[in-house]
Amino acid sequence: MLEPKEARLHNTKRRSSQLQRLKTAGCFAHLEAIPLCFSSSCVSASQRLTAPDPYSRVAEILLLQPSKTLKDNSANRISNSAMAAAAATARTQALSLLAAANNHGDLAVKLSSLRQVKEILLSLEEPSLSAEIFPYLAELHSSPEILVRKSLLEIIEEVGLRMVDHSYALVTVLVVLARDEDPIVAKKAISVGTAFYCSILEEMAVQFHHRGKVDRWVGELWTWMVKFKDVVFSTALEPGSVGVKVLAIKFMETFILLFTPDASDPEIFSNDGSRQMFNISWLSGGHPILNSVTLTSEANKTFGILLDLIQSARRLPGALAIAVVSCLAVVARKRPVHYNTVLSVLLDFHPNLETAKGCHAASVQYSIRTALLGFLRCTSSPMIESRDKLLRAFRVMNASDVADQVIRQVDKLVRKNERFARENWSGKNNQPIKHPNSWDLSKKRIMSQGEDDTMNGGVAPKRLRHNTNMHLTPQVQISDSSHGPVSTNGISPANHPSDSEPTPVEQMVSMIGAMLAEGDKGAASLDILISKLHPDILADIVITSMKHLPSSPPTLKTSLDTPADIIVSSSINSMRSPTQLQLPFDPTHPSGLSSDVPSLNSTVADPRRDSRRDPRRLDPRRLNSSGGPTSLPVGEGKEAVPVQSDLSSLPSNPLSVPTVTAGDSSSVYPTTIEHSPNKVVGNSVIRISDQLDCREDLLTAPSECVHPSKGKSSLDVPISPCKNDEGIRETTFSDSDTKCRDDLASIPDVDQHSPSESGPDFDLQPPVASEITAEEESYRELASVPSYIDLTTEQSKTVGKLALERIIESNRHVCGFDCNKIRMSLIARLIAKIDAGNDVATILREHISVDHREFKGHELVLHVLYHLHAMANLDTDESSSYATVYENFLIAVARSFLDALPASDKSFSRLFGEAPHLPDAAIKLLDELCSTRDDPIGREICDSERVTQGLGAVWSLILVRPNARKACLAIALNCSVHSEEDIRVKAIRLVTNRLYHLTYISEHVEKFATDMLLTAVNSEPDHSQIGFTAEEIKTEAKSQTTSTSDSPSARTSDTHSHQDRQTSRDVSVLSFSEAQRLTSLFFALCKKKPSLLRLVFEVYGKAPKTVNQAFHRHIPILIRELGSSYKELLHIISDPPKGSENLLTLVLQILTQEVAPSSDLIGTVKHLYETKLKDVSILIPLLSSLTKDEVLPIFPPLLNLPPDKFQLALAHILQGSAHTGPALTPAEVLIAIHDVVPEKDGPPLKKITDACSACFEQRTVFTQQVLARALGQMVDRTPLPLLFMRTVIQAIDAFPTLVEFVMEILSKLVSRQIWRLPKLWPGFLKCVSQTQPHSFPVLLELPMPQLESIMKKFPDLRPSLTAYANQPTIRASLPNSALSVLGLENGHDSRSQMQPSDASSSIHGVALT
Amino acid sequence: MRFRYAMVCSSNQNRSMEAHFLLKRQGLDVASYGTGSHVKLPGPSAREPNVYDFGTPYKQMFDELRRKDPELYKRNGILQMLKRNLNVKLAPQRWQDNGGDGVFDVVMTFEEKVFDSVLEDLNNREQPLMKTILVMNLEVKDNHEEAAIGGRLALELCQEIEGNESWEDTIDDIVAGFEKQQRRKLVYSISFY
Repeated sequence: MLEPKEARLHNTKRRSSQLQRLKTAGCFAHLEAIPLCFSSSCVSASQRLTAPDPYSRVAEILLLQPSKTLKDNSANRISNSAMAAAAATARTQALSLLAAANNHGDLAVKLSSLRQVKEILLSLEEPSLSAEIFPYLAELHSSPEILVRKSLLEIIEEVGLRMVDHSYALVTVLVVLARDEDPIVAKKAISVGTAFYCSILEEMAVQFHHRGKVDRWVGELWTWMVKFKDVVFSTALEPGSVGVKVLAIKFMETFILLFTPDASDPEIFSNDGSRQMFNISWLSGGHPILNSVTLTSEANKTFGILLDLIQSARRLPGALAIAVVSCLAVVARKRPVHYNTVLSVLLDFHPNLETAKGCHAASVQYSIRTALLGFLRCTSSPMIESRDKLLRAFRVMNASDVADQVIRQVDKLVRKNERFARENWSGKNNQPIKHPNSWDLSKKRIMSQGEDDTMNGGVAPKRLRHNTNMHLTPQVQISDSSHGPVSTNGISPANHPSDSEPTPVEQMVSMIGAMLAEGDKGAASLDILISKLHPDILADIVITSMKHLPSSPPTLKTSLDTPADIIVSSSINSMRSPTQLQLPFDPTHPSGLSSDVPSLNSTVADPRRDSRRDPRRLDPRRLNSSGGPTSLPVGEGKEAVPVQSDLSSLPSNPLSVPTVTAGDSSSVYPTTIEHSPNKVVGNSVIRISDQLDCREDLLTAPSECVHPSKGKSSLDVPISPCKNDEGIRETTFSDSDTKCRDDLASIPDVDQHSPSESGPDFDLQPPVASEITAEEESYRELASVPSYIDLTTEQSKTVGKLALERIIESNRHVCGFDCNKIRMSLIARLIAKIDAGNDVATILREHISVDHREFKGHELVLHVLYHLHAMANLDTDESSSYATVYENFLIAVARSFLDALPASDKSFSRLFGEAPHLPDAAIKLLDELCSTRDDPIGREICDSERVTQGLGAVWSLILVRPNARKACLAIALNCSVHSEEDIRVKAIRLVTNRLYHLTYISEHVEKFATDMLLTAVNSEPDHSQIGFTAEEIKTEAKSQTTSTSDSPSARTSDTHSHQDRQTSRDVSVLSFSEAQRLTSLFFALCKKKPSLLRLVFEVYGKAPKTVNQAFHRHIPILIRELGSSYKELLHIISDPPKGSENLLTLVLQILTQEVAPSSDLIGTVKHLYETKLKDVSILIPLLSSLTKDEVLPIFPPLLNLPPDKFQLALAHILQGSAHTGPALTPAEVLIAIHDVVPEKDGPPLKKITDACSACFEQRTVFTQQVLARALGQMVDRTPLPLLFMRTVIQAIDAFPTLVEFVMEILSKLVSRQIWRLPKLWPGFLKCVSQTQPHSFPVLLELPMPQLESIMKKFPDLRPSLTAYANQPTIRASLPNSALSVLGLENGHDSRSQMQPSDASSSIHGVALT
Repeated sequence: MRFRYAMVCSSNQNRSMEAHFLLKRQGLDVASYGTGSHVKLPGPSAREPNVYDFGTPYKQMFDELRRKDPELYKRNGILQMLKRNLNVKLAPQRWQDNGGDGVFDVVMTFEEKVFDSVLEDLNNREQPLMKTILVMNLEVKDNHEEAAIGGRLALELCQEIEGNESWEDTIDDIVAGFEKQQRRKLVYSISFY
């Protein structure tokens, strides 16, 4: 967008600098040669270079040429015709260079030739000469070399912009190259093209402004520029290089800025010649080629495209998303009209980090932040007003400090400007001062001046507008400047904001005014505009326009002064009843008028009329209507004001009156308004402006009426009183079309957005003479529509499909904001019409799934579904056909999602969740998805994800679709007992974690799980089938529940049945995995509801082995997960069902495995042991936590257990718990074992000896010291434990080193007269004999009879004992009797003496043993 | 592609100059700027910085500081830095005044504040050329060690971008790859000339 003048300046500068460069680069030699040729001239070379005379130009050209040509042509340059000749040479030269550029093999040569061509072109004084070369130049656009194309563009940029009027050939190149496959070329083409676009636009405006007409060449160029625009727009939306698209987006921004009115733009053409960038507001006076309304609406559409783009930013590459954000920010800053919309879009924008594919989300987020920061820096009023909103947003972004800083800066700046302004103001009161940043000051002034103006009465609206002047220009100047353009142009300045800077809202109002002035077309774009407007700003517009309404109806009064208005008012009198113009607006007075208006009700009772659109709400003057000074017969409503201006045209066109139908009445205003000023052109300027202003004031009301009236007219067609229209319609539209139209009519929105596409809108053509011809033409055109052809069903289907394809295809490239709605409705109807489920789905599939990501595909599908569903519901007789279409479509779409989208995609579940109705086939599909595996090979991973997807869908359906709940639940439950473990696990997770919480389902789930468990338990071949349980199982379940009550009868019956089933258990064919399958769900539920566990305990006893295995597998996991919350478990433990002992033990084991059992548990188990279950083995797991006092009483039964269990118990006892330590020390254990009296407690002696042996086996635990301590303690007991001697002997066997200690024990025993204990004495003897010779001292301690008996019993002892005793030291200590026994005193005597006693003792001993 | 790079920090002394130095040494077309209102260098205490206007030659600063307190400024590395700078270019330049320096393709900033300033400045300029400019921010602490690291990273990034015909298509991948590899955050934005 280089401004031409600047560009030119730039170019000349550049050229001179080039010469300078050449000079310094050694080309001076050539320069020195030149003066020789200019024989008469004595100007120095340097002077000549800078001088603007033609000679120097020639010299310049020649400098750029090879030296050979310089020499050849030097002679020509002397004469006066030098220039022309040079030009001709230049031309031929340029052409040959171009040929080289085109054909030469070497790229470098091509490029340098092109450079030279450029220099030549730049040097040519006469543009027409250059223009001759342009077509040849343009041919280069097809060059295969990228760099050549790029250089071509550079030439176009530099040369073309200087002589736009001759650049026709070049502009076409731009259009072609904007599509170039090379991004660099395309980028360059877009940027050059944009410059051209702006400059041609400006040229057109300027030409018309100065001369009142536009040259033909500009018009031609403009058509190319329009093409260029289309190309660039399509590149922005089509796939391609991001860089090019970014520039295309930038072009869109430029486009929006150009064609969105910018009232802040000061003068169009200021005197100093420096022009602002073109703006649509320049065209306020009308333009023969540029239609400001179309362009404005196109700009709005483009703005909509950008908004659409940002909403789908997830899908965009980061660079593009950022470009869109920054362009939107620019638009918002420069055109406050759009600010609120952009702001709300940006604030709502959250680039989802997960879904952002390949796009750097942080950067996109940051670009939003940058944009918002930019807004914060702006000081125009809407931005200041939204400060709070912005600050909140920054707080969310954790950037409030930055924001605060910016605000401080801005405020400082504002204050500074204010102070500056005040000083200036007080200093020189009359000087206009510019201070654009003083927003609050100017605001204050607006307020006060506005108040003044309301007191002034009649001129208020006009004044108010001017007094919003931000520059605080004195009033005198305003009137001057406002007169300026009027006098020069003869055109109303009403929209001309040249002298003021209205608020954006006022700009908006004036824009709406301009659009309405354009009639129907304008109304259409107004619709688009309004639909895109932020509600806040819309409200502002309404309020602002209300401010402009005069407090009393002065316009009526003043306008009556002019003859035209008098005619009008009189015409109103006469026209009132036939046209019924006021009626829709004044339903408060229907009684007086209803007789005149038969069709009033249909108009007023429009059910779709939005209350907000009701003009009554918008017009504050209604309130004082009765008090207002009304001199006219139409005074019953102030709405008469617009009527008055509209009808000013009526008298001159009486013919058009009858065509005004009730439905049209409201749309008359906007269309006729346009013409009213023309009618009164002859009046004074003030009159015009007044009228125009009041027109603006009133515009809001009619503009709001446009919607209902249009929808109305299309609906009310059949009852329209206008036969003429009806006739035309009937001849114009074929039957099928009428049907279509009916469909369309049911959605008024569509009509509103595309007035030109639907037939009935022709009714809206205003009844104005100038329009009538056009209208007739259009009617005639319509009549020539080919006659109706009856298509076969097949054909219509094909046509329908083709149409569908086309609609979808077309949409791919056009994504305006309102196209979508129409498109969706169209597609929905087409599908309903052609009933080709699968085919359509295939057509749609790709489109939908691609589009689905930005949630438009979803919208479309739902739209279609709802339409079909509605059709199915409506046509009760034909319901089946539509229902099938509906079903087919739904299933086809769902399948396409499954095929095309990844399993993680939520579209499938969303579709089912939001579809209006779920047919059985949908449930079936879901079921298949969850549980059927069609292709087991190679698709497993995918399938497993699909199952997750399916189950996810099932879950959401259960939540949101009560009707489908049962079926979905059945799917989920069936999956939870699926034979495939993967599916089962997922389903179980779903059922237990999600579904079981739902109160309305839990019972069902529980019952199912129970049934399955029982199926497993009672499994017989026929029960192992999956599915809902058979009746008999249910009854069984009942018997189970009764048996849980403690009534003994039930229990016995249960045991009976248990025995009965013993046989069937053996027959059972249930495999372990099968048992797993059936029981998993139940156990999973137990986690959530431990009380269910009771059933497991109950059935445990009678369950087949495999099932019990499955139980054993589940229980540990379950118990661990239950953790501390096993209150329920305790309950069960305290009263375990019969047969569940093993399970109970297992449970206890698990419970005590890792943590110390709680006192509750211990108490419960102990209680159980004491009361019901006498099996001590259940206590084993707890032993480690029991105290010594608790363990000792149960020791005897423990001993009585099988060896392995005792070993376990022993281990537990010795292990003890972490804090209390072992219940018994090993020594104590040993003692405890010995304390058990076989007869009394039950365990046979064998068990006790086994227990002892078991202890001795653990030599690491029962060490030498332990044994010594135990023996030492036991030897003092009375009575001595029965097995004492046995243990002593075992001890000495195990630990021979204990012999000394044992001898002490033995001697203690001797002192306790061991020989008196017949059960121990033999053991003693055995021990003594085994431990000789250590035992000799003990032997010698024995009384003589015992000693003698020993001698007899163990004769081999005697020699060694005698030898021992014979030692002098010992012998001395021995009593004689002992010696005599040993026969040491008197040889044989002693021996013979001994014999009797020995014999007796031996007899005694034998008897004892 | 031959791109033009600009390295921007606050004072055009440490971070941007380090990167400028490195890129220049690698033969890239590079310039450097600061966005602050003045050039600030650490002084004897935090409250007494040495403040200069942009455009004051590095040589002048160097001489002045060396005269003031050679020990201090040698110790904190300022003198060495200035010496490096004066071999790279004449004087610190202000980004906001660089209108005449032509068009850049890639701008690297080393601080969020600077990034914001550059973007704001670019957005406030007229944008008649329809030429995209890539602005990237890499957070680098303002000390010598971090500046050295930051400069190296900036060089790597620029070299990677240099290898691309049109950075708009690849910038997302480049940035994501950089973040993954270096474990540092990088933000980019796009503006126009």
